[in-house]
Formats: sequence, C-alpha cells, structure tokens
Amino acid sequence: MVIRIAAVGDVHLDEDVVGRFRPALEELPECADVLLLAGDLTRHGTEAEARCVAEEFGGLSVPVVTVLGNHDHQCDQVPQVVKVLEDAGITVLEGNGVVLDCAGGRLGIAGVKGFGGGFAGRCASDFGEPEMKAFVRTTTDSADRLGAALRSLDCDMLVALTHYSPVPDTLAGEPLEIYPFLGSYQLGQAIDSAPTALAVHGHAHAGTERGTTPGGVRVRNVAHPVIKQAYSVFHVGDQLDTDQVSPIGQSGSQRSWS
Amino acid sequence: MTHHRDIGAGPPDEYVEAEIQRLLVEDPAVAEQGITVIRRERALVLYGEVESPHRREEILRRVSERFPDVPITSDIGVIRAQAPTEIEQLP
Repeated sequence: MVIRIAAVGDVHLDEDVVGRFRPALEELPECADVLLLAGDLTRHGTEAEARCVAEEFGGLSVPVVTVLGNHDHQCDQVPQVVKVLEDAGITVLEGNGVVLDCAGGRLGIAGVKGFGGGFAGRCASDFGEPEMKAFVRTTTDSADRLGAALRSLDCDMLVALTHYSPVPDTLAGEPLEIYPFLGSYQLGQAIDSAPTALAVHGHAHAGTERGTTPGGVRVRNVAHPVIKQAYSVFHVGDQLDTDQVSPIGQSGSQRSWS
Repeated sequence: MTHHRDIGAGPPDEYVEAEIQRLLVEDPAVAEQGITVIRRERALVLYGEVESPHRREEILRRVSERFPDVPITSDIGVIRAQAPTEIEQLP
C-alpha cells in the first residue's frame, strides 16, 4: 500500500502571488493523491486573500485539505475565509478529520491549527495570570482535539496536519528564544496517541524539514521558505517502488523558475 | 558618574532593531514573520525570503520610510515555486 501525499504551508497568498504555484500544481495528479496545505494560506486572513487561495488551489484534480494558520486569523474573518475555501472545494480542518479513498487505500487526515507553548522541560505552564492560563489552555485544547480526531478516523493510513510544530526538531535554524511561539509538545503527544504515519506542519520559516516525535512518528516541516519548491511529495507505505517515482523528476527538473 | 546618552543621538541600536522587527510583522503592508534583522558594523541587514518581488521592495520602502537615518541593507530572496524534482519515500 502506497499513498502519495503532496504538501506545502505558508504560501501567504495575495494578488501579487496568484499564478506562481499553478504550473506546478497542474502536475499534481501525476505524483500525488492529495495536497495538504499546512496553514498561513493568506497574509492577513481577509476574504479577498482567501479568494486568491481559492483561485490558486481550487479546481485541482486531486483533493485539497487544509488547516488555517495564525496569519489566516489576523483580520478576524475566519468564517468568511473558510467559506471561500470550502466553496472552492477545499476541505478545511480544525479539530476534525476526513477520510479519502486513494488508489493505495483509505487516507485519514486529522487537522488543527495548533498553538505555541514550547517543548518538554522548557514550556509554558497552566499557572498564574489569567492571560498565561488562557495561552496554555488554548494549546492544550487544540492538542486534545487533534488527538481525539486522529483516534476517531477509520482508515488505512493516518496523517496529522497542523500549522504549529509538534516537535522542536523541525525548528532547528530558528532562534531558540522563539520556540515557544512556534509549537508545542502537546501536539506531538496527541500525534503519538494514535497510529499516525506522518505529521505535517508549517509556521517555522527558518526551520528544517525533518524530525520525529518522541513516539517515532515522522514529522515534516513543509513551510514554503523551508522546502523552496511549490510542494513536497511523500510516498508513504510499505511497497515503495523507485520506478514509480521517476516521471516527477523528469517533469519538475525541466521547469524554469527565475 | 552615570553617563547619559545624548538625546540627539536617537534610541540605542537594540531598540531600533526591535522596532524594525515588529514593523515587519505588524505593518499591514508587510506582515512578514520570517525576516531576520541582523546588526552589522555599518548597517542593519534584512535576511529572509518572501513570496514576490513586490513584497521585497515594499519591505525596504516601509523600513526606510520609518527609519530614514538607519542604513539598511537587504538580502531578501523570492522563494522558488517550481514543481519538485524528487519525492521522499517513507516506508
């Protein structure tokens, strides 16, 4: 069983970016069963910017599943943003999941935006001022909803989709001082509470691609500034065949991107 | 004896650096969280990557407007958006 997953985050669309991703996106059906968007689709989270996302990522030949990021919350227009995306056929997850029938099996995707808080031993605690407790409880609630969604899905392969990072590994390159604003270990704990095959996140523009949760789940930071391509493709499964993956190399390597 | 800064000399560099960092995120015309401000001997250098050439120009314009006396150098790139040339296999 092999499921082909394409993913990118932090594309920060506005009118000035529309069309940049589309040529690469048109190639998706050749190399992926699904496209995951790891949040920060827009710059300020306006309805107008969401329409740019709909134009760029809507109407593709593969299903598109997304979570929102912190930028998508900036203008307090989340319901309008979600509606524009859903009208374009994009599935928006927040504390829930979806199961897709792929050629290689049933792919379950659970998603939340997530939040900050920090990582084990160096994290914020649910203690003190109301503002501090509200901060930590936002993270805990988000992680709890991710865990519940992951455990609820009936599928052959399980993927977790977040904007904030569940592990510090993929933040390497970011200043240590801002790790608590980039992710939280509770998200990793939620991912490890289910038989998750892969966790995908964005948010950390200066981070690195690869990491692992304490429970051994592979984590990939797909923030656009990190992967430096339109999307990354992961073939997840137990019967991988290298011959199957050659066409994408031929196609992508010939594209000019100046 | 305590030495006080000459008021005419402007705020210490560290505060300017902090203000620029916040401007990059909080100014709606910029809204970039991924730009790093580094203080060098002769100028403040802006590093990072953005999604379009327009955004790169806008960053320089807004920072220069707000801090006309601070020498700024920019090394901001535009992120490539080509199709991937390789896949990652995860057995």
